[in-house]
Amino acid sequence: MAPIDGNFDYDLAVIGGGSGGLACAKEAVNLGAKVAVFDYVTPSPQGTKWGLGGTCVNVGCIPKKLMHQAALLGESIHEAVSYGWEVPRHQDIKINWGSLTESVQNHIKSVNWVTRVDLRDKKIEYINGLGEFKDAHTIIATMKNGSKKELTAKNIVIAVGGRPQYPAIPGAMEYCISSDDIFSLSHPPGKTLVVGAGYIGLECAGFLNSMGYPATVLVRSVPLRGFDQQMARMVTNEMEERGVKFQHKCVPISVEKLESGQLKARWLNTELQEQHEDVFDTVLLATGRYALTKTLNLDAAGVTCITSNGKIAAETEQTNVPNIYAVGDVLEGRPELTPVAIHAGRLLARRMFAAATQQMDYENVATTVFTPLEYGCVGLSEETATAKYGADNLEIYHAYYKPTEFFIPQRNIKNCYLKAVALREAPQKILGLHFVGPVAGEVIQGFAAAIKCGITMEQLMNTVGIHPTVAEEFTRLNITKRSGKDPNPASCCS
Amino acid sequence: MVLCNALTNTFYERVVVNMSNAICQSLRSPIKRLANLRRAYPISTSLVHNETILVKNNDEFVNKVMNSDKPVIVNFHADWCEPCKILTPKLKELIEPLNNLDLAVVDVEDNADLVHTFEVKAVPAVIAIKNGIIVDKFIGLVDADMITGLIDRMAGKKKESA
Repeated sequence: MAPIDGNFDYDLAVIGGGSGGLACAKEAVNLGAKVAVFDYVTPSPQGTKWGLGGTCVNVGCIPKKLMHQAALLGESIHEAVSYGWEVPRHQDIKINWGSLTESVQNHIKSVNWVTRVDLRDKKIEYINGLGEFKDAHTIIATMKNGSKKELTAKNIVIAVGGRPQYPAIPGAMEYCISSDDIFSLSHPPGKTLVVGAGYIGLECAGFLNSMGYPATVLVRSVPLRGFDQQMARMVTNEMEERGVKFQHKCVPISVEKLESGQLKARWLNTELQEQHEDVFDTVLLATGRYALTKTLNLDAAGVTCITSNGKIAAETEQTNVPNIYAVGDVLEGRPELTPVAIHAGRLLARRMFAAATQQMDYENVATTVFTPLEYGCVGLSEETATAKYGADNLEIYHAYYKPTEFFIPQRNIKNCYLKAVALREAPQKILGLHFVGPVAGEVIQGFAAAIKCGITMEQLMNTVGIHPTVAEEFTRLNITKRSGKDPNPASCCS
Repeated sequence: MVLCNALTNTFYERVVVNMSNAICQSLRSPIKRLANLRRAYPISTSLVHNETILVKNNDEFVNKVMNSDKPVIVNFHADWCEPCKILTPKLKELIEPLNNLDLAVVDVEDNADLVHTFEVKAVPAVIAIKNGIIVDKFIGLVDADMITGLIDRMAGKKKESA
């Protein structure tokens, strides 16, 4: 039981050793707090499990970026030939899935180890058990061997994150994989059906297709819902032109295993009310993620969560129970991004243990979708800005552009496009920046800092570019959508 | 080649102090998690004078490394570490034929206490121990000369000028 005299075992207990939880724990320790972290990974329906560090490190950003890089490198081999490299039998070049996953998993294991060493070094108690509330100050963890471990803490941070959702269709749990499994899949995925066209689905379909595994994407509503839709179309156009198949307005009906071991998937086009089916080697579900609060026994602590998705609404990361907080993907209505969780976790620790007052600013957080042609953005989409300010009060600057390095290998430039969403009134404060092209993440990061400083179109246009880069295209923006002028670059050598 | 500079000297002193504390503690409380042997290292069968010590726990480390009559090169190793796959076999090749120098391989996944005691933050890491005291170390994949130089010094051979 939680002590009545206020003497707790720990100043802080964090449930969930992912990006947010660990950042909060480390900051708290730096501020002199005594901290324990619980981390436990329940195996996926296909049996995949992993170590300390959370989604990003194990089954998210890190392996995804590495596989994206593997895909880009494959493309580069072919481009290299145009640049004069003599690549023997480059037509026959193919990926060795086993080597790729081994390298990716080895990197992950090294990060897991460094994380464990770091926690021990910082004297953070790491408990590899599934934590749940006994009361508002007490956590019981079920360890791997079934034994229980109980401890009390003054403050508790819920940082359990989320896991992939499985649609309620026959065969989903039995035969389908998710992003939890793909990065350590023991065999090459082969022809793959990706269910869901959010960023996870598109990224997976993108790198699989580039590696030579044919990919089909089932899109329920629109691709990249919530993102700027014009930009989303650029991303999917590029993927389509590279061979990814899109089935729009389609929802899965069933997945069954054939004698051959392959999977027969059926889906329904909800617009035409038509059923379709095809045979795949792998069906990857990417239909959203749910918050992992069910096993927390929140009731025992009196913490409320949203019934439909398990998420916790906590404006300042503080739940309805004052000593219990939440950070990361478990939060309702917040971007599910590692750096967001890290920043929020760190600021929260400073508020808890250093009397700081700074709150997390969830506005203008930049992100990038690592599709074959990447999409980076910060701030408002054109749709959101229009809804908020009205089209008459906005000026949209846009341009197609030709990356210098695309000319020689004659790469497709049709989808290299960027735009700035700004207020119409001078000095035209910028509300959103959007960029589809190579290294979009690298391009958008610096501009995110500029947006944070309140950059205007005037200032952007007065910024001198770095030539020849793709990021300089932002400084060259001058055509507004309203003008109706052609946003295409001059035909040659511009 | 002299490796010890002021910085590394500080490191040694600190490590030796920490080490004795940690090792003493571990002797009082036997560690619960013994390394399993599923990742058996292939050991060459020809011309082996001297089997590499695959450190399974703190006690073994104390007995076979800290209290060894011979100097010991300790290789902190991980299966997921690419450079380790080059360094560990190289060390085995060079040290196993020697009678007056031992090699101990510590899997960092299975020996958290030793990793902590010796402040290993990256692998591969190599420390040289003589009479229970750290006398040399290097981190990462280093020049072949540096490896042979260390081995020669530890084995009491004079370094031949290259």
